[in-house]
Amino acid sequence: MSRSTRVRTLAHHELRAATRSRLLVVLAAILVLVTVVSVYVGAVDYRSQIADYTAYLQAAAASGVTQLPPPPLRLLSLLRGAMEYLEIIGAVIGVALGYLSVTRERAGRTLALLRTRPVSVGELAAGNLLGASAVLGILLATTAVAAVLCLGVIGHGWVDTGQGVQLLLAYVAALLYLLTFYCLGVIATARSRVAANGLLVALAVWLGVVLVLPQIGDTLDADNQVPGGLFAALGLNLSGETAVLTHFALYENIRTGLEEISLAKHFERFAFAMTDIPNEYQGVSLGQLLAAKRNDIIWLLVGVVALGAGTLRALRRQPVTTGGQP
Amino acid sequence: MIGVVAAQQVTVLRRQRTAAVVVSVLVGITVLAGVIGWSSAATITRVYDQAVLLLASQGRPAPPNPLGLKPPLSLLSNMTVYVPMVGALLAIVVGHLSLSDEQSSGSARLLHSRPLTRRAYLLGKLVAVSGLLAVALVASLVVAVVSLVVVNATFPSPSQLLRLVGFYGLSLLYLVIFALVAMVAVLLTRRRSMALLSALGAWLVVTFVVPQFISGLRPTASLNPLSVPVGTSQTFFDITSRVRFLSLSEVFKNASAQILATAPGEPLIVTLGRVVPLAVAALALVAAALVLVRRHDYSRSAADE
Repeated sequence: MSRSTRVRTLAHHELRAATRSRLLVVLAAILVLVTVVSVYVGAVDYRSQIADYTAYLQAAAASGVTQLPPPPLRLLSLLRGAMEYLEIIGAVIGVALGYLSVTRERAGRTLALLRTRPVSVGELAAGNLLGASAVLGILLATTAVAAVLCLGVIGHGWVDTGQGVQLLLAYVAALLYLLTFYCLGVIATARSRVAANGLLVALAVWLGVVLVLPQIGDTLDADNQVPGGLFAALGLNLSGETAVLTHFALYENIRTGLEEISLAKHFERFAFAMTDIPNEYQGVSLGQLLAAKRNDIIWLLVGVVALGAGTLRALRRQPVTTGGQP
Repeated sequence: MIGVVAAQQVTVLRRQRTAAVVVSVLVGITVLAGVIGWSSAATITRVYDQAVLLLASQGRPAPPNPLGLKPPLSLLSNMTVYVPMVGALLAIVVGHLSLSDEQSSGSARLLHSRPLTRRAYLLGKLVAVSGLLAVALVASLVVAVVSLVVVNATFPSPSQLLRLVGFYGLSLLYLVIFALVAMVAVLLTRRRSMALLSALGAWLVVTFVVPQFISGLRPTASLNPLSVPVGTSQTFFDITSRVRFLSLSEVFKNASAQILATAPGEPLIVTLGRVVPLAVAALALVAAALVLVRRHDYSRSAADE
């Protein structure tokens, strides 16, 4: 059996075992369901704008106007909630998948058997990662299809080629992001003799990276200190705000730095840019958009490569038997 | 017998260092909330000082310092986010360990061969878990009071202390709910890993999914201490808003904001009414756990990992 065949076999095993887990199916169903609801919630906000625009189009057509403005609805921005769910729940699914991958081998005592075969640790890790990529890819593809259908049916707009490419890039970023958390789940569980403790460590990291760090960054924003905005409460306009903030360079650097070390924030920034959410990227070409988001792409790639290497190391050091520990 | 089971469980949690981790983490997040609150107060003052200079150079009068308009207990606003996020996860782990360890090791079989009723067994576990969470929250309360003294430069008034005690009492109720969710999950599933992940799934649904269904809150909006639900002019939310009491995380946050006086005031009876869904959920889960523990087959091994 060649090296690539062994890796493919291990990946196939990982895929079948993961899809057999009913809990993952349930989590996937939840992800699709919340995507539908989040698109609906976004669409109803824009519904009045669509109605106004349609009325204008009819009036313009009736009066023979040929130059029509673009619709006010940025279709892909309806996926903001769906992207946030991938950021939070998707990461948990990644951790859970990594945890289950290790505990499954331990529970079935199959790791000891596998290691008696001519399979290297590198092949084992590669097979695991490839299988996990397939599982997560299927999960994300299902969510993406549901999202596109929702945009058409609920948002009354079908995705064109350019938008399709942007959406594809957003979901590729999601795959890298979820794979990073899969690796985290594997590393934490493999390094722990009691699997539940490993899961706890992975969840603690998830909590810090996905929830606490971005929340601290937002909370420390000077303007967020008072409901309605601190600068508005002080009667300062944008130029006044800029003038005052020049005295807070260090503070702003610390705040930005806290957000910067959160991988979740990098995924969010990239995914939001790809789904037309920030106003500053309106009318910007895809090439310019990717150049602007270069930093976030690098963070996502470094994250998955670093934790992928960590997975290899953790699997290599993992005890083949658990010494009777549950 | 309830006391014996509870004492044994507390000893186990202490030996596993789980108790120390729970207390440390809750104290840690309280310190974090205090530091953020202190940073907020310091930032407002520094921004205000700079704004006064700027406005004076433009010949404009300075408004009053917004810091004076902030509620005294707003320093702890972030605790209303950290309790449902971090605290609930800790409660799930403690609740899970309290029942699953004995199943995995097989000692539950031995234990139930003794004259110990299932009811006393479960209530003993619940007393131990609730006791540990209460100790952790009391430690957090002490840190919160110290934070208030440091930042506000005065000791909290009796009314503020009462509000703090009320908030931590509500937090205990909320955490016990999630500990019970984890216990019910252990009693419902055969596999230990599935039990833990099911409880985590329930936490995700309560914390992120239900608020989106009922109030149109995006997941990141759930991280804000004060969340404004979407308007009910849309038919979907007009319908779902009628069952807002089912959104337990929103119920907790809104009731906490009232107790800490960080939101516009409302009559006491309304605030007490907000707590009812949480109490009902806790009682329903206790009842479910009692029924499930009676039916649970302890002769079956759960050492699947």
